[in-house]
Amino acid sequence: MSIITLKNVSKSFGTLSVLKDISIQIPSGQTTAIIGPSGTGKSVMLKLIVGLLHADCGEISCFGTDMARASITELYAVRQRFGMLFQDGALFDSMTVGQNVAFPLVHHHKSMTETQRRQRVEATLELVELPNMYQRHTSDLSGGQRKRVGLARAIVTEPEVVLFDEPNSGLDPITSDAIDALICRMKKMLGITFVIISHDIVGTINVADHIAMLYEGRIVQSAPTDQFVRSEHPIVRAFLERNLVLPNNAGEVATLPSLG
Amino acid sequence: MQLATPVLDIFSVFGRFAMFTGQVIIRIFSRPIFTQATLNHLAITCQRCVGPVIAVNLPFGSVLSLQGLQIFEMFGAQRLLSSLVSVAILREIAPVMASVIVAAQGGSSCAAELGAMRIKEELDATEIMAVDSLRLHVVPRVVALTIACPLLYIVGALAALIGSYLTAIFVEGEASGVFLYNLWTLTEHRDLWAGILKTSVFGGVIGLIASYQGFRATGGAAGVGRAVNETVVYSVLVFITLNYFLTSALYGAP
Amino acid sequence: MMAKSDNTVTRSVQTFGDYAYFIADLFTATLRHGVSWRSVIEEAHKIGIRSLPILLIINLFVGSNLTILGFHAFTPLGGQRLVGLFVALAGVRELAPIIAASMVAAKAGTQMASQIAVMRIQEQIDALEVMAVNPHAHLIAPRMLGILLVMPALTLIAIFATVFSGYVVSVYQLGLNGTVYLEFAADGITAMDFVYCVVKAWVFGIIICTLSCWFGFNCKSGPEGVGLATNRAVVSSAVVCVVVNYFISEVLYGSL
Repeated sequence: MSIITLKNVSKSFGTLSVLKDISIQIPSGQTTAIIGPSGTGKSVMLKLIVGLLHADCGEISCFGTDMARASITELYAVRQRFGMLFQDGALFDSMTVGQNVAFPLVHHHKSMTETQRRQRVEATLELVELPNMYQRHTSDLSGGQRKRVGLARAIVTEPEVVLFDEPNSGLDPITSDAIDALICRMKKMLGITFVIISHDIVGTINVADHIAMLYEGRIVQSAPTDQFVRSEHPIVRAFLERNLVLPNNAGEVATLPSLG
Repeated sequence: MQLATPVLDIFSVFGRFAMFTGQVIIRIFSRPIFTQATLNHLAITCQRCVGPVIAVNLPFGSVLSLQGLQIFEMFGAQRLLSSLVSVAILREIAPVMASVIVAAQGGSSCAAELGAMRIKEELDATEIMAVDSLRLHVVPRVVALTIACPLLYIVGALAALIGSYLTAIFVEGEASGVFLYNLWTLTEHRDLWAGILKTSVFGGVIGLIASYQGFRATGGAAGVGRAVNETVVYSVLVFITLNYFLTSALYGAP
Repeated sequence: MMAKSDNTVTRSVQTFGDYAYFIADLFTATLRHGVSWRSVIEEAHKIGIRSLPILLIINLFVGSNLTILGFHAFTPLGGQRLVGLFVALAGVRELAPIIAASMVAAKAGTQMASQIAVMRIQEQIDALEVMAVNPHAHLIAPRMLGILLVMPALTLIAIFATVFSGYVVSVYQLGLNGTVYLEFAADGITAMDFVYCVVKAWVFGIIICTLSCWFGFNCKSGPEGVGLATNRAVVSSAVVCVVVNYFISEVLYGSL
């Protein structure tokens, strides 16, 4: 059962064609990762899914709603079932951590009282391992902490789908591992659909149930993780082997071929 | 005696700015001089500012005719309109309008460019390569603005005169010959020179403030926005105040 | 959104069209989603507090220069006493509103543009959209209503400062008779002048807010994008206000 479907989707910016005839189905309840080299249009795909960008052609549907033809009300209704973690957190700098995480509750769960909201926010902050951070100002946070707060804000409304835009970007290896571990734990605890955009192959293999690879605007392979890792596709192999530390690749500088 | 912190702060800001100004001025009068860069900035500034200068002065001249006639009509002295118009334009309106646009457009570009360079560590990179970033980036911009402002003043004055002529003749129906005859009755040559002097000083001040703000920007992209904001505000404050004192000195005592 | 054309004329029309859409979006979003009155008051307060000091100072000096100019223009015509009239008329009808608008553009307008531009490049506006909160209603509408609330007051303060400094300069620097100045000043101003000033204040407020927010909303990426947006906001606000001012004055005071 897929809740997000892209069918023959293409997107260009001027003369630069970023996505070419993409078709993919995101299954519900599982973690799907979309990987590929930087600048291949992964973030664009995410923005197309939530309707921040419109595709040039093709169909995008979420929860059965055609995102291109949806009215503003339908669009907002669909978005309330999503949570999204942006690359730099996209936290509101004028607010504290608590106010940031409470934001979607304030706007969409108006029946909650101040106390109930606070309890929910504090519980969510505990989940992302940031206890006692309610009053902190966002400008005081480190990169890893910003990601955690961003994640807390994304899950506080108990969405059905969480989108991750390069959760490991800009982090040192240790913090990156910690974020990977957090995402794994969230996955087990919440059991909802995750869509992760990443160029970090190691973390992805650990957490994803299903991996799709985007290369030069096309999906070159889409399969469950254990199949994907054993794939014989040359592009996939090249990408996997460059990212995994294997002794026979030491010293070799591999370049990825063009699809032409 | 312990002075209050805000007072000390003001002094320290003034002090830092004065030092910055000193460093820039020393480099203007010593070699090497990056003439090409200066001419580039001059050309770009004039190109960016000329449109707004005309767009702002033309309507102002028109409004001057419009309201001026309302006053003179009370005394049946419409024919004297052009004398008021030329005096007002050459002495006050054109210098101030040109300086405001140079501050808002030229000064703010200067602050934004230098600020972005500071944030992206390009100025540091220049220094590390043993090139004087003040000499390469700041001095040309300051000199360019000092020259551009009087040029724009002249263009603006023309635009305002044209605007007031067009409104007086074609909208309000005054006689063209009378307008032109009385145009220079009250003005003197020194009005033009005073205007050029004023605007050179203002241009220099704007350049220095803008460069100072951009050069010392901190805090990422928001810092650049702040630098631009403060440039426009402080430049306008300083030259409006200077304008009053210069005007008083040149024309004030009856 | 259509691709940008190469032709300058077509591009200008497209840009104007984008701007018109932006205003239309703002209007419909505010009607649909409502606006928090607390944030309106907050914005009004911020705009007022930020713009007031510079507005006062600039108008004081403009008033003084206007007086000196008027003095020199009218004395040869035997009209020294007209100085008060001149300052009141020129100051109240034209200078105070446009200078108040320029100062608000320089201070509050640039702040709006840079704040919104920073939010844009840090994806905070995208985050609002994804959380199903309309950015027009949440960010821009409070600023628009705030500026409308506060502009008339700022303009009136500007008028007062201009006339007041004219008085001080006339009496203490030029040695004119203060009472005569005030008499002629009062003669020159009518109640309708104040109404017209408020109308101008509102029009300028709308121009400043929409242009500043629009440039911030559509800024290019990186710190240069923020600087450029702020720059364009202040220059276009000033130019558009001055041009529109002419047409408003013609309609209100002139022969059109």
